[in-house]
Amino acid sequence: MGVKEKKDVLLMGIKVLDLADEKASFCPKLLADMGASVIKVERPHGDPSRDIGPFWKNSSHPERSLFFQYHNANKRGITLDLEQSVGREIFLKLVNKTDIVVETFLPGYLKNLGLGFEVLSDINPRLILVSVTGFGQNGPRSKYKSCDLIVSAFGGSMYVSGSPSTPPLKPFGEQSYYTTSLFGAIAILLALRRRTRSGNGEHIDISMQEAVTSTLDQVMVRYFYDQVIPERQGSLHWDSSFCILSCKDGYLLLTLFQQWETLVELMDSEGMAEDLIEENWKDEEYRLKHVDHIIEVLERWTKTHTTDELFKLGQLMRFPWAPVQSPRGVLESPQLKARSFFVDMDYPQIGTSTKCPGAPYKFSSGFLNRRKRAPLIGEDNISIYGTELGLSDEELQRLSSLSII
Amino acid sequence: MEYPMDKAILNGLRVLDFTWMLAGPYATRILADFGAEVIKVQCAKTAGGVESDLTGYFNTWNRNKRGITLNMSHPEAREIALRLTGISDVVIENFSPRVMSNWGLNYENLKEIKGDLIMVSMSAMGQTGFWRDFVAYGPTIQALSGLTYLTSFSKDAPMGLGYSYADVIAGLYAALAVLAALEYRDRTGKGQYVDISEYEAMCTLMGPAILDAYLNNNEILPKGNEADHIPAAPYGCYRCLGMDRWCVIAVFNEEEWQSLRHVMGYPSWSTNEKFSTLSKRKAHADELDELLGQWTAKYTSEELVCLLQEAGVPAGVVQNAEDIARDPQLKARDYFMKLVHPALGMVTSDASPVRFSGSVSDDWKTAPLLGEDNHYVYTELLGLTENELSLYLQRGIIG
Repeated sequence: MGVKEKKDVLLMGIKVLDLADEKASFCPKLLADMGASVIKVERPHGDPSRDIGPFWKNSSHPERSLFFQYHNANKRGITLDLEQSVGREIFLKLVNKTDIVVETFLPGYLKNLGLGFEVLSDINPRLILVSVTGFGQNGPRSKYKSCDLIVSAFGGSMYVSGSPSTPPLKPFGEQSYYTTSLFGAIAILLALRRRTRSGNGEHIDISMQEAVTSTLDQVMVRYFYDQVIPERQGSLHWDSSFCILSCKDGYLLLTLFQQWETLVELMDSEGMAEDLIEENWKDEEYRLKHVDHIIEVLERWTKTHTTDELFKLGQLMRFPWAPVQSPRGVLESPQLKARSFFVDMDYPQIGTSTKCPGAPYKFSSGFLNRRKRAPLIGEDNISIYGTELGLSDEELQRLSSLSII
Repeated sequence: MEYPMDKAILNGLRVLDFTWMLAGPYATRILADFGAEVIKVQCAKTAGGVESDLTGYFNTWNRNKRGITLNMSHPEAREIALRLTGISDVVIENFSPRVMSNWGLNYENLKEIKGDLIMVSMSAMGQTGFWRDFVAYGPTIQALSGLTYLTSFSKDAPMGLGYSYADVIAGLYAALAVLAALEYRDRTGKGQYVDISEYEAMCTLMGPAILDAYLNNNEILPKGNEADHIPAAPYGCYRCLGMDRWCVIAVFNEEEWQSLRHVMGYPSWSTNEKFSTLSKRKAHADELDELLGQWTAKYTSEELVCLLQEAGVPAGVVQNAEDIARDPQLKARDYFMKLVHPALGMVTSDASPVRFSGSVSDDWKTAPLLGEDNHYVYTELLGLTENELSLYLQRGIIG
């Protein structure tokens, strides 16, 4: 399953223009990882997502954003100012040579520039345009500004995370951008299949809020079927099946009800089951009612062990337990190492290479597990504008002096 | 103008679906929404709990699919499973890694029946490695990936998300993998095997934090709703009028800050030198949040967010399930729709966030009852006679 010849790449020949900022730059990256050819189109001074940290050596700089680096690996990069008419002319030339455009502007922005779907589609009827916005292309909130925080609030992930005594809590790390990007990539591959039959591209409309709401597992199901409004309950899982307890050296996620008798035996063998060995605790209803007591007794036991001891012991007995790991723990995970999950990525700007999360799937046809670092600002201007679009050196000079590229 | 049907996209694609719980059914639901003929295989003996056809949970994640029963613990069931594979394009499963092999249904066996088969195995840890047999649910994976640790207000009180998010992520990656493998099959004529690890899927969504830990050797701490690496201030979740009502506000630039000050009526504290630039506001975020929170607490979240957004300030209502069910924006986009279930009656289903402009999806159906499509699948598709079918049913092989 190593690096294969180019003809074997999953999405060979698929061309993508990536106008997306941080909200959806992961969408073209998913396709780039599968072998699509992706050109990141940035405004002349670079994409605003280059201002998002963390940064290499913790110092803010557009070429040092690790956020930008991760989301734009395996892409080539050019600069272009769509707000100048010459820039738009060049953009249309690029559109003519691409399969897919991904953008994250507010609804109507491209249309006002004369670059709406109808115009692009006239030039290239096979074009698939993906528009990612906070709330979708229509509806009363379509013009609202958005970011991960805003759509996590509207979408429902915040209200149910955190504890009753804390404010609602946003999932860590721009999760809405990832789920939106996954839906976007799925939409693109669906549209490509329809295009194979019809010959025509189409306009895809992805709402980040809808993407968040559709990842809520039981939350909306319980509302519609059980008339329940799910609340925050700290680390206690909604159905009390899981809870996080402290150990000697950290925290462990463990189950409270599964294989009850085995659990009690485990604790009892160390003399720590207390009253849980009594008959009344065998009744599941009773346990659910007195879950606080179970947690207290369990925690007295977990505190006498390390997370690693209980993780190993638990898994041996088929309990779905796990340590609450930090990113450091993830980097050191023996399972991820055994599966070569992390790949090396050259990072010459900082004079080193880095370990980078790879792909979560292994395709038997092979997977291009290369990691080309993200492009520098305008890095591929000459090869793409010059070699591929055929602009002369003089034209490139002029465009550059006008700050169009 | 005639609108294209969403379901036409994967028309003709047949998926033999051995998945259960959430991760797998989430993946095949996406394929079913766009017209694949997804045949969900259930065993009457194990179709309880969240796999019971009369629960809202099952009905939500299995809409648009067909359902058959097959008792895989019976030795003769394998032969039928192989025949079903022969008429399918895709086989997908999310058991522990040993299950399909124990049934004699691993990829090596199946591709002999169907040469260009696409088989996708979804598991918690992947099909290989020391932990391949570990047991894990969504919360387990979230804990292992760092997501739970970092979604907390303090490292001494880990909380995490209030739902099984990792299962959904694995489902999305699996749907993407099926479509990419189809693209490859169309071009090369070859099928393939795909091994998906939910643990790895979750870790791909922790990328920047992992790079930070590796390259900078930083100890990455949970920061609640703080802006942290986001260039914004104020940025956070603020209390509003009413019981457990909240709003969020994120101010990225000078223009938005001035608009916020305008909406607040230019309170004197907002002229303070220490709030005069973004970096100063970030440095004094705690104090800024405190002052802003005193102002937001006087308003309902809905009216405040409306005022702020109209003035160009990014803001949002922290919506609970009821707010979402009644959300005018989702209503305008027909995000929730009514479907009629033969036993549960009128039920509410969410739409797909994948929207093709002008397309319609008014031909959706609820999840199958247990074995609802046995007759269609076994006689019409597989070619069993009525007698054979009733014999298999009698002997508990189809059941």
